[in-house]
Amino acid sequence: MNHWPTLVYGLFAMGALGVYCLLPRAERSMRAAGAVLGAAALAGFLVLFARYAVSPQGSGVVFLVSGAIAIAAAVKVITHERPVYSALYFVLVVLAITPLLILQSAEFAAAALVIIYAGAILVTYVFVIMLAQQSGAAHYDRQSREPFIAVLAGFLTTAVVAAGIMELPVPAGGDPTAMGGEGPSNTEVIGRVLMADYSAALEIAGVLLLIAMIGAVVISRKRVPTEDVVESRTPGMIGREVPPY
Amino acid sequence: MMSLLEDQFWFSAALALVIFGAMMTAVAYCIYFERKISAWMQDRKGPNRVGPLGLLQPLADGGKFLLKEDIIPANVDKPLFVLAPAIAFGLGMIGFVVLPWGGRVDVDGDGAVDVIAQVADPGIGLLYLLGIGGLAVYAVVLGGWANNNKYAFFAAMRSTAQMLSYEIPMGLAILVIVLMTGSLRLEAIVLSQLGGGNVWNIVHHPLAFLILLTTLFAETNRTPFDLAEAEQELIGGYHTEYSALKFGLFFLGEYAHMITGSGLIVVMFLGGWHLPWVPGLRPEDVSIGAMVLKMSVLGLKIAAFLFLFMWVRWTLPRFRFDQLMRLSWKGMLPVALALVCYTTWLVYVGRATDIRWTLGGNAVLMAVVLVISGVLGSPITGRQAHMPAVRMFASRPAR
Amino acid sequence: MIRDEDILNVDEPELTASERLYFPILVGMRTTFRHIFKKKITVQYPEVQRTLRVENYRGVHRLNRDADGRVACVACFMCETACPAHCIHIVAGESPWEDREKYPAQFDIDELRCIYCGMCEEACPVDAIELTPEYDLVGRTREEMIFDKEKLLEVFDRTNGVKPRKNPKITGYVATGRRNGSEPPRPGAATS
Repeated sequence: MNHWPTLVYGLFAMGALGVYCLLPRAERSMRAAGAVLGAAALAGFLVLFARYAVSPQGSGVVFLVSGAIAIAAAVKVITHERPVYSALYFVLVVLAITPLLILQSAEFAAAALVIIYAGAILVTYVFVIMLAQQSGAAHYDRQSREPFIAVLAGFLTTAVVAAGIMELPVPAGGDPTAMGGEGPSNTEVIGRVLMADYSAALEIAGVLLLIAMIGAVVISRKRVPTEDVVESRTPGMIGREVPPY
Repeated sequence: MMSLLEDQFWFSAALALVIFGAMMTAVAYCIYFERKISAWMQDRKGPNRVGPLGLLQPLADGGKFLLKEDIIPANVDKPLFVLAPAIAFGLGMIGFVVLPWGGRVDVDGDGAVDVIAQVADPGIGLLYLLGIGGLAVYAVVLGGWANNNKYAFFAAMRSTAQMLSYEIPMGLAILVIVLMTGSLRLEAIVLSQLGGGNVWNIVHHPLAFLILLTTLFAETNRTPFDLAEAEQELIGGYHTEYSALKFGLFFLGEYAHMITGSGLIVVMFLGGWHLPWVPGLRPEDVSIGAMVLKMSVLGLKIAAFLFLFMWVRWTLPRFRFDQLMRLSWKGMLPVALALVCYTTWLVYVGRATDIRWTLGGNAVLMAVVLVISGVLGSPITGRQAHMPAVRMFASRPAR
Repeated sequence: MIRDEDILNVDEPELTASERLYFPILVGMRTTFRHIFKKKITVQYPEVQRTLRVENYRGVHRLNRDADGRVACVACFMCETACPAHCIHIVAGESPWEDREKYPAQFDIDELRCIYCGMCEEACPVDAIELTPEYDLVGRTREEMIFDKEKLLEVFDRTNGVKPRKNPKITGYVATGRRNGSEPPRPGAATS
């Protein structure tokens, strides 16, 4: 048990080194080495947690597999050179996290994540990137700016969080069978908490979103000075004036 | 064997296999019926050469999809090009698992209910379907972008905007029923519509039904909302560059989405597997035979909706893009919002399932819509008030 | 230059109240639904065939024979010149017969290139090339679809019963010039 912290921190360092090598850069590429290191670190974690795979109804396996997919995809998000793929790997991260949420009986959060994040927000991301980058990747996509500092900061934070988690007792884990069970469901509880306990916060958030929406409409509805244009064309009474419709 | 089926897990597995097989067949025959119905409506006979009445046509079609040359054009983004049809088909094929096919079942006949005839009954069944609908956009977006074709990209652009816009009224229409029923579980929604003087939700909320129906047309990219594949403008849209089995997967995916969508609307508004005044279709009927009967009733209702989809497709022309957007944002969204607010109030005063209040509210709302559109004189589609009126063929301005 | 007074503004008509609420959709749906049960107009092709207007249907070409069974063409190249698709290829040879000067030693029509416009038929001074009502034209290779003289004459033999040749007289045709080893024919002797 004493070796645990060293092992975990070592794996974190290995993963950090791997991600550092994987980050796109202008000079000589170290991607192969990075991929090997990263994969090794991930495999190390899987081995460490392998004993949790033995659990009723295979929820441990689901946890390990989807967790590994989520981490690998997250690394891909920041290391891929093409922004479209980065955004798509982000979608994969979201999809890989949903089983984890469901394992924790947070099925409403899982569904909301898929519908709102993957189904709406990321579609727009992907879309904007596709529109914006029709011809090849820009130089700021091919080359990361501060790979060392970024990796250090990211993995230090993660390691600190992990250290905190390691202090905690191993939780009993969610009960996946709760989905079909009786009693107030997760969704119901969320609804009660949101609507009864935190209704003011909810209202404020809603009003904020409304303001943002109205603001977006105001910004987008820039009135084209139509008068001059139309006047110069009046002889023919061109069928339609300039938008906005 | 029977004792294995008493366990929900194995029962679900068996049911999933059966329904998956049925779905595949149904999807193949959807293509056949699409061709047949379009032919009938155009005074033609349709495919009738392969097998009796042409019934083996789907096999021939499938063989053709398999055997044609699978072209991957140069300069496409190959991984995404391959991924897009897989997403379209895969998402179409996993939607059915939350549909309640046959109520509760007593497998061994000992009087105790063993399993529920549904592959999975999560507490978020409706949200699951909505999530799948949301992810389905990726197939179109990736397909349109990856094949490096401007027309296909236009299609992807249109489709994204369309699907994102129509998901909102769709969600609100569903929310009306969720508020009324108090559950996101599809089986619970079915049960709330029958027995004890209850009626199908379509009687309670015809407006929500219409909104959901319309948005389903848009979500499945069917006419009159098939701007993403507009042949005349975009050559076929996002699947322009696809051939052979990849095109086939897009095709099958569309029909699978139609089936799931029809199932959703049947469950939400038309009582699922329930038919009034027919014995053996009550929730208390739990024998295997009752389950089969319920499943066939649900299947028939879905088939009726598939016919509606096809009927509409071969009747209506396509919307223009601004009309499409206006219909969603200025037409259905306000109505759906008003409906949700009204239903919320009904829930608050405890009259959410009182037909006088729900149906009456719908009627009043409809009248208000009529009055507003009459007073404002601004149609949702067609010419807007601020567009100068010029009479057709008669406006040669005098000099 | 487009003048303003030439511009015709066509705008959508304003919708009525029912149109705004899409009620006319139901009318359209009723129409299509009724058509489901109407009599079908499909012609089941191989078993049932349409009756064609034989006189002016433009199908496969044929090269007509004259009354003596000889090819009627006089290799004047009018059809080849008139053909907009350039699908006719004629090689003229000296006619073995007394009554005409030239005959087609070779006469090829690429039926795949042909657009079946009938210009050759119009151009022909002796009505030797005609389009027949035969339309089920198939072949396995492109070469097969280039019809030579023999094949075109075969088409004539096949279709003569369906559409008899017009067979106009070649009037006022006088062969001129000297032939090898023979006297130039006298005027008037060679009219058919």
